[in-house]
Amino acid sequence: MNDSHIQVRNLSKTYRVPVRPEGLRASVGSLFHPTYDDIPAVKGISFDVHAGEVVGFIGPNGAGKTTTLKMLSGLIHPTSGELTVLGFEPWKRDAKYLKRISIVMGNKSQMLWDIPPMDSFRVLGEIYNVPAGQFKQTLDEIIELLDMQELLTKPVRNLSLGERMKCELAASLLYRPAVLFLDEPTLGLDVSMQLRLRKFLADYNRRSGVTVILTSHYMADVTALCPRVILIHNGSLMFDGELSSLARDLAPYKLLRLTLLEVTSMESLKLPEGAEITEREGLGLSIRVPRADAPDITANLLQTLPVSDLTVEDPPIEAVIDRVYTGGSL
Amino acid sequence: MPDLEGNMHILRLIPYFIKVSFQEEAAYRANFFISLFTSVLNLATGVLGIMILFGQIDSIHGWNEASTMALLGIYLMVTALRGLFIGPGLDALAGMDGEIWAGKFDFVLLRPLNTQALVSLRKWRLFSLFDLLLGLGVFILALAKMQTVLSAWQIFSFVIALFSGLVILYAILLIFSALVFWSPGVLFTWVFDGLFQMARYPMGMYPGWLRLVLTWIIPVGMITTIPAEALTGSLEPVMLVASLLLAAALFAAGTALFQIGLRRYSSASS
Repeated sequence: MNDSHIQVRNLSKTYRVPVRPEGLRASVGSLFHPTYDDIPAVKGISFDVHAGEVVGFIGPNGAGKTTTLKMLSGLIHPTSGELTVLGFEPWKRDAKYLKRISIVMGNKSQMLWDIPPMDSFRVLGEIYNVPAGQFKQTLDEIIELLDMQELLTKPVRNLSLGERMKCELAASLLYRPAVLFLDEPTLGLDVSMQLRLRKFLADYNRRSGVTVILTSHYMADVTALCPRVILIHNGSLMFDGELSSLARDLAPYKLLRLTLLEVTSMESLKLPEGAEITEREGLGLSIRVPRADAPDITANLLQTLPVSDLTVEDPPIEAVIDRVYTGGSL
Repeated sequence: MPDLEGNMHILRLIPYFIKVSFQEEAAYRANFFISLFTSVLNLATGVLGIMILFGQIDSIHGWNEASTMALLGIYLMVTALRGLFIGPGLDALAGMDGEIWAGKFDFVLLRPLNTQALVSLRKWRLFSLFDLLLGLGVFILALAKMQTVLSAWQIFSFVIALFSGLVILYAILLIFSALVFWSPGVLFTWVFDGLFQMARYPMGMYPGWLRLVLTWIIPVGMITTIPAEALTGSLEPVMLVASLLLAAALFAAGTALFQIGLRRYSSASS
């Protein structure tokens, strides 16, 4: 049996957007002869996700993350390419498919605003045909993991954003979906609530084996939860692999961090082309060097400077990603 | 295509939808009194209009006070039924804070149910039961005024015509609601509400061209006039058949347009 839960091949989505010209005359004209622009949001991406994996989907605003998530969940129809989730073509929205997936969106709520969450949960249980015994068992487990017993009887509109997000997660897991799509689930939450939700997701994934695709702008979400990341930029896939190798693959430089024995003049220090001092404070010194030159430069530094300590590091993940987002080139 | 099992499932869900809707309504008690006031006002203007009209003449184009009153009763009952369960679910789609504009429709689409059935049956407005009672009151009063014993045919054709009228109402509402997929901010059903006001009076009272429009083009007349004619025995059987055919055609058209709208939503939304 193939344990691949999600298969994506050359998936593309192009939106047709009406062009609204400036000026009254042109506006009237466009009523009768509308013109459209084709905006490619996702351009031929391919990847597989296996059962039980937690994959972080990252990229700047407008990269195509949400569009991809919407295609995966079945909300929108791909323009071209192949896509199966659990063996189904999502856009057909087969009831059998919809019973096995779930989506949580940080900026949209599926809770009924004026009534306590418990009542919304019951209706969802009925909609998804969850047998009474299983419903109780699942709900008890989620309530315990999320520590949300006291929220169940308050109207949703009286809950804080973090409390509401707990409810959103509970609602999305009541029927034990096999695949869970999380679109910015920690949006706007304070740090301790972010931590708590991360811990919950990690625990729940371990217990249930649910496959998770997560998008987030908080790198901490991704580093805490996702052994694997997929990075997309301008609709194209730029990286797919272990988080730990993202910096190695995408950043062509390393960071040398030195602590010196005594205050030393840097004038005698000759750095090769491409290397530069990025930080200097007291006896501490950071130098950015081309990845390939790192060993030579390290040896050279040890010879020319009174070094007490030296480490060779990959640049921080945020810095790597920032360079991809802002420049595209590295 | 919706399967039989799926449709049975959604029918089983109705009690849950009703319960939750009631809880939501109960959270806003002030609405209850406003709703009560609107209902009584609606009833009063309808009855007063008829009293003023028939205070001056005995009948217009074959419609006397009792039969016009029966038609008002039907109008009020049909309006109440629409407010009870079809209207609230469809109305939630449109407008600037509507589900399509705000993107909450995504969750509706992802429920493992027939989307059209879910949208139509999910929200209930139990205040409308009061309207239904008022309408029934007017209707019974009108029947008493008629002072005739209804024949089996009259009762039978009335029931069929009323059913057909309700299907037509649903189909038109569905068509107007489906337009929201093209312009999410516009409350298209308000346009319909304006037109539907004309169904308060018998089609026979309107000039010929308008009567044709209201019978066949935007057939609000079919919804109230045909059942009322069935009751007074003035309905020609061919019109009953025509009403049924129109209901079937509009239902098919409404469903098709809604499905096209759904497809548009899934290819255009971002």
